[in-house]
Amino acid sequence: MTVLAACRKALDRLLQFILLALMLAITLIVVYSVIMRTSGNAPSWYDEIAAIILCWVTYFGSAYAALKRGHIGFEGLINVMPPALRVAAVFFGEILVITFFVLLGWMGMRVLRVLEGDGLVSLPWVPLQLVHSIIPIGAALFILAQLLSLPDYWAQARAGMLGKKDGDEEIKEKLE
Amino acid sequence: MIVLLLLAILVLLTAINVPIAVGLGIVAVGAILVSQGPQMLPNLALVMYEGATNFPLLAIPLFIFAGAIMNASSISRRLIALCLAMVGFIRGALAIVTVGVNMFYAEISGSAVADVAATGSILIPAMKKRGYPKAFAAAVCSSAATLAIIIPPSIPMIIYGAMANASIVQLFVAGIIPGIGGGLALMATAYWIARRNGWPVEELFSWKKLWHAFLDAFWALFLPVIILGSIFGGFVTATEGAGTAVVAAFLIGAFVYRDVRWKELAKSAIEGASHTAVVMLLVASSALVGVYLTEQKVPQQMAESILALTSNKYLVLAILNVLFLLLGMFLHSAAAIILVVPVVMPLVTAVGIDPVHFGLIVTINLGIGQQTPPVASVLMVACSIAKANVWEVTKVNMKFIYVLLAVLLIVTYVPEIPMSLVHFFYR
Repeated sequence: MTVLAACRKALDRLLQFILLALMLAITLIVVYSVIMRTSGNAPSWYDEIAAIILCWVTYFGSAYAALKRGHIGFEGLINVMPPALRVAAVFFGEILVITFFVLLGWMGMRVLRVLEGDGLVSLPWVPLQLVHSIIPIGAALFILAQLLSLPDYWAQARAGMLGKKDGDEEIKEKLE
Repeated sequence: MIVLLLLAILVLLTAINVPIAVGLGIVAVGAILVSQGPQMLPNLALVMYEGATNFPLLAIPLFIFAGAIMNASSISRRLIALCLAMVGFIRGALAIVTVGVNMFYAEISGSAVADVAATGSILIPAMKKRGYPKAFAAAVCSSAATLAIIIPPSIPMIIYGAMANASIVQLFVAGIIPGIGGGLALMATAYWIARRNGWPVEELFSWKKLWHAFLDAFWALFLPVIILGSIFGGFVTATEGAGTAVVAAFLIGAFVYRDVRWKELAKSAIEGASHTAVVMLLVASSALVGVYLTEQKVPQQMAESILALTSNKYLVLAILNVLFLLLGMFLHSAAAIILVVPVVMPLVTAVGIDPVHFGLIVTINLGIGQQTPPVASVLMVACSIAKANVWEVTKVNMKFIYVLLAVLLIVTYVPEIPMSLVHFFYR
């Protein structure tokens, strides 16, 4: 296994573990709150914490989707472009995506500095910095996932086969 | 003018396969830099955070998780056996069973792609084995799966509810009559095609067999009663109902049927989280663009310019239907709702269209969009399972698409039919 493939697998495993844990956490929190509400003791932190976990699922899951190149896009036009234009378009697109997440991560770090000392409304002992740290962390993970999945994406783009191989694999996985 | 420029940039970015969510973010950064200057850029991080904490959308991962548990147990097999025992004696029974099973499945799952993958992987090979053409098998499975987003619960309705600030529970209730009516119409179409082609019956009707199939599927049938009963009964919100669905599906799969495939379940849950994230990133970055559009009063200006042409409610509905049908051909349903609904809502309310009624119209439009290439997520899954050509399947599928279009027209222009239950229970 190459170093690149090993890194990709490690990130894949890490994100899978985090996403599974977050999904279980969301389910348990919602069910716990329903049970507590019926017994007249609805937890005050329920809405806030559940929404925060949804945000974490968004950014960890986005990095995972980037690793699989699963974000909603339109590859049809790239596939029919002449090869030289196709390579240029893919290169330009990748630069733009990475630049956006560099900017998002950077701004996320600036926001963290401003939030120093603040806590959540329902649970004041939970620092807002911890909660908002998902933005720079998520941006960094997205960039890493984008770079690790770039070689395969690049090869598919050069062959004019974007989206086709992945689609078949997804169906096979579902059928299994 | 600037808005048109931003739209052109977004189209250009989409054309070079930049994910739409990131394309929206890039456009929003451009708009912030031009209109407010670089000192406002930290808003990028704040809005991208706030946009992803949209509480009602919590129902999406939970319904996906519930569906994953069902798919990892024997629930689909039991529902198929029950439907066969009910209608197996009718000509073209497997096609009718396909629609029936999808109607049952739709009451638990809110995603048409998940439904077509779960039911198609069993029923398409079965139909091919019994001599049905593969294009027909794929077409009927694909169209029937659309019922998943019309019959509650429905993920597009949850997204619409969050974007348009409409009641998700009322949207769910509005989907009941068109979902059941559409399902029966699809069954009738399948029967008509089967009779013309002389396709086989499956088994003789027997009360004993039906009773056994019913007992075997009893808990699977009980699942929608728990989920929809608790939501419609007002005991829980749509989000909490989704949490209840996860627990109920888990208890039935793990302790009653005892056949949950754990590895598959974990994998499906992770995939569910990833699908949720894809939608949520779109929601977050559209919030970013939304801030700019609202500041520039773009939705209001658009509403005013259309109202200057016509304020006829029915004409506006026709324009919006054509818009969403076209969008559905090229955009994923979640993307279409997130991008367009906030922009057209001022127009919708200005001409007096009920937001719940409009949500149902949008959902059916995008359900049809999932059947129409080039971007047709549900059709593609059915074609891959059947190993059939997309265009050949589409030719056969047109008959079913006409049925769905008829449902759309009735829902659009006779709102009393879908909205009667909403009025009866909530207004």
